Amino acid sequence: MRRRYTNLDPVALLAWAALVIIGIMAIYSATHGPSSEFYQFNPRQNFSNQIMWLGICLVGMVIALVLPIRFFQQAAFPIYGVTILLLLAALVFGREVNGAKSWLYFGPIGLQVSEMAKVGTILAVAQVVGMRRPKTMDLRFAFLLVGVIMLPAALIVLQNDTGTALVFFGLVPIVLFWSGLDMNLLMMMIAPAIAGYFAIVSMPTAIIFVLLFIGFMYWRTRDTRISIVTAIMTGGVVALANVAITMVLSDYQVQRIMSFTDPGAEQFRQNVGFHQVNSMAAIGSGGWFGKGFLEGTQTQGGYVFEQSTDFIFSVIGEEWGFFGSLVVMILFAVLLIRLLQLGANMKHPFGVLIAAGAAGIYLIHIFINIGMATSLLPVIGIPLPFISYGGSALLANTALLAIVLSLHLKKDDFSIYGY
Amino acid sequence: MDEGRSRLRIFVALVTVILGILTLRLGKLQIVERSNHTGQSVNNAVREWRVQPPRGRFYDRNGVLMVDNEPRFTLFVTPRYFDEETIPLVSRLLEQPDSLIESRYRAAAKNPFRRAPLQADISFEELSRVLEQRSHLPGIDYEITQKRQYHTDANMTHALGYVREISESALEEFSEEGYVWGDPFGQGGLERQYEREVRGVPGSDFKMINIKGQVVAEYLDGSQDRPAKNGLDLNLTIDADLQAFAESLFVNKRGGALALDPRNGEILAMVSAPDYDLEMFTHRLDPQVWDSINAHPDKPMFNRVTQSKFMPGSTFKPLVALLALGVGEIDEHTTVHCPGYHPLGRGLRYKCLETHGSINVVEAIRYSCNTFFFEMMRRIDVNSLNRLTTTLGFGSRPYLDIAAGEVERGNVPDSTYYNERFPGIGGWGQGHVMNLGVGQGEMEVTVVQLARYMAAIANGGTLVTPHFVRSMIDPETGEEIIPEYPEPVTLDLNETYLELLRKGMRQVMEETSWWLEIPGIPAIGKTGSAQNSRGDEDDSVFIMSAPAENPEIAIAVFVENAGYGSGAAGRTASFMAERYLKGYYDPSRQWVLDQMFREQNSAPLYGTVEGPTG
Repeated sequence: MRRRYTNLDPVALLAWAALVIIGIMAIYSATHGPSSEFYQFNPRQNFSNQIMWLGICLVGMVIALVLPIRFFQQAAFPIYGVTILLLLAALVFGREVNGAKSWLYFGPIGLQVSEMAKVGTILAVAQVVGMRRPKTMDLRFAFLLVGVIMLPAALIVLQNDTGTALVFFGLVPIVLFWSGLDMNLLMMMIAPAIAGYFAIVSMPTAIIFVLLFIGFMYWRTRDTRISIVTAIMTGGVVALANVAITMVLSDYQVQRIMSFTDPGAEQFRQNVGFHQVNSMAAIGSGGWFGKGFLEGTQTQGGYVFEQSTDFIFSVIGEEWGFFGSLVVMILFAVLLIRLLQLGANMKHPFGVLIAAGAAGIYLIHIFINIGMATSLLPVIGIPLPFISYGGSALLANTALLAIVLSLHLKKDDFSIYGY
Repeated sequence: MDEGRSRLRIFVALVTVILGILTLRLGKLQIVERSNHTGQSVNNAVREWRVQPPRGRFYDRNGVLMVDNEPRFTLFVTPRYFDEETIPLVSRLLEQPDSLIESRYRAAAKNPFRRAPLQADISFEELSRVLEQRSHLPGIDYEITQKRQYHTDANMTHALGYVREISESALEEFSEEGYVWGDPFGQGGLERQYEREVRGVPGSDFKMINIKGQVVAEYLDGSQDRPAKNGLDLNLTIDADLQAFAESLFVNKRGGALALDPRNGEILAMVSAPDYDLEMFTHRLDPQVWDSINAHPDKPMFNRVTQSKFMPGSTFKPLVALLALGVGEIDEHTTVHCPGYHPLGRGLRYKCLETHGSINVVEAIRYSCNTFFFEMMRRIDVNSLNRLTTTLGFGSRPYLDIAAGEVERGNVPDSTYYNERFPGIGGWGQGHVMNLGVGQGEMEVTVVQLARYMAAIANGGTLVTPHFVRSMIDPETGEEIIPEYPEPVTLDLNETYLELLRKGMRQVMEETSWWLEIPGIPAIGKTGSAQNSRGDEDDSVFIMSAPAENPEIAIAVFVENAGYGSGAAGRTASFMAERYLKGYYDPSRQWVLDQMFREQNSAPLYGTVEGPTG
């Protein structure tokens, strides 16, 4: 029986298209501006490469929309398996790019398998949650989910691509949250990370946060044991961070971590703080409406390294100003919230988890990437979804979106019995 | 499903909060702290280049281009961005040895962020070769400099002056007028005097540079640039042909000449010999060359027209005659007996050249009779002489539009002067004053003063203001500016007496020194030879004006230790006047020139005497 699908979501699709176009314009500005004759061949090539990858993405999206829901469910584990194999292969045969051995080359086309691994991992996680009987959430199940995520993450750490691995770590609480983990447990997982961040930025803030959080947990649970565990976990992280900074880590490592709190300081600005000083100079000097397309002095002067990839937001901030930045933030908000709504609409754990996983992955990328470009966070090299140059990332992120759109398109085909 | 709904709400809130935090952060950077970051980005990426305007051009009185500019280029290196691997490429493009470029780079590398000149004074062709390769040459950029270019055969060294980088002391003094390090600044002569007008207004180019220090584009499409404004062109009063010709007459001589238009004070030529080639100041000047010019015993830096003080000798006699006529001591017919000496010194001290017998004032000028003028000053007091002499411009600094500090005052003695110099009863007496009658003794004049004095005799008693600039033209608007000079002074001189002076001076040319007469053009003149402490030979001095009726040129010439005034100085003046009035000199007088040059070559004056004129 033929079914007419009318649920292809235009909002998410348009937001995606707008972000990709903004990205391509920014890459063009960073590689083909008035100063591009001074660039080496490599960055100039980024623009045409990204166009080519966009073509691949469009083809992939059409394929994903045509495939039935059952395909994704059945293929989830095999794809995850292939992903793990690719990660292993990259460790053995991979080419090292920027210090990370995470690239596999198929002829001239390089694939960053750690990006691809995000798709496989989310599919697998969604499938695991989808197969579970409803309303059961025990620790064994939680450990299974964490294991599914941590296996590729561990391989990526071995590839020396800590930034990408961090995204996987960030995925853990998000997945647990959507699979119905107890909120108290979840908060106890997230709180140490926040405490650790404050420990680096400002120790008094960290201590106040720890105390407030312990009080909050006690008020919520009225359970002394939980409060003690909370105190040990959050306080422990703060103490560990303090010890690490003052005793364990070498000066250089400490500087790298600390520099983001004040990258313009005398001891940082010419070395570890250089990226962020210039990125902030680019973004900040954009003002309300920016300097105009191809007019950014920082961008065109090449003062921000990696400005077509990890620091691409400096191009947007400088040339399009706060107005342009706001447009990008709104587009991201629309896309992410729309994805969550689409997931909720599917009323099937597999769909919910894919949508929430995709939104979660995007959110982590956006937060870390723009946080880094604006010196809110240390320099962690991960791309801005849909905007940064990078074929593998564009393909992986678009694939996640396409799967969500495809699932939503055929949401009535979901079997209530798994698959 | 309630559980799912609330989780959705929580997660939407999380998305909103995180994106909200980022948006606030962006707002803080882009709106609140905008100016800080703008400053940082401009510091990084925008650099101001100073654009030196071409200095004003100099034209002679006939519109002949004498001085203009040639754009030259200086290549700079910023060591921080420079790639040492490109040294061989740079030296190949500049056709310089690797070692030279490398050593300059090494010297510059001590200050890695400061631009330092790598090669100055390169041509447009050389620069083009470098610019073709500029994407391979990080840390290399250039600036345009303007180099003075001299087009005529005239050196005109002392009048023109030259242009150098502004000195530290001048920078302190003129920083309020917008000078910065490295700006050109006129040194001496017209370049200094008219610095403000000739300089123009430097402009600014704002250019975007990339992280390697390479210029990548105009900043804001050049909308912030300020174009340089060209300096004013000067229309000089100089006759370039006469100037060059006069300089050629001074080969192997030390001395000076000033030719001016007696009607208005326009300077037609000014020579001070020896001089030097201004061309060498357009390059990087070798300090050894500089030292050798400064230390040369003939002092080429010294302007012998305005700074040499010497006794006027017999050129002073017309003035004494004018005084004697003016105070009524004599008239046209009064005669004095010349036995070949003045009787006061028992024939030993106050000698005349010949025995002139009974002689009147015109004849006395014509024969340059010492006895007559000794007698005049025996009769007239020194202060009367002082008054007339100072009225005629001696003893004070004449205005001249080339740096005023280099103009000497000379000396015109009066009784006060003598009282101070020779104190006590009998310290000085008539003898001193009588000597003044023949232009010897304590009298000191300069070439400029003599030329003005000559012009005043010729033009009927107007003391003109000598000057070099007729007008200044704004090259962009064509606007003409006439510089302001002190008004010429009309002296109350008796035209009848002046006519007697001119009559005597006419006879000097016609008869006494007939070889100085310009064929076809009657002229007036007076020789002089003055004792000096520099050498055995007297200084040769000559003043003349031509034509005798309606004079167009007045000249004073002074040649150190060249003997009689009718020799080197007279010949120089006569040929200058002929060249100016006719545009050539008559071949029938070639022998006069030949003789002069022969004398010079057989006994070159150059370098034979120690010390300059004092």
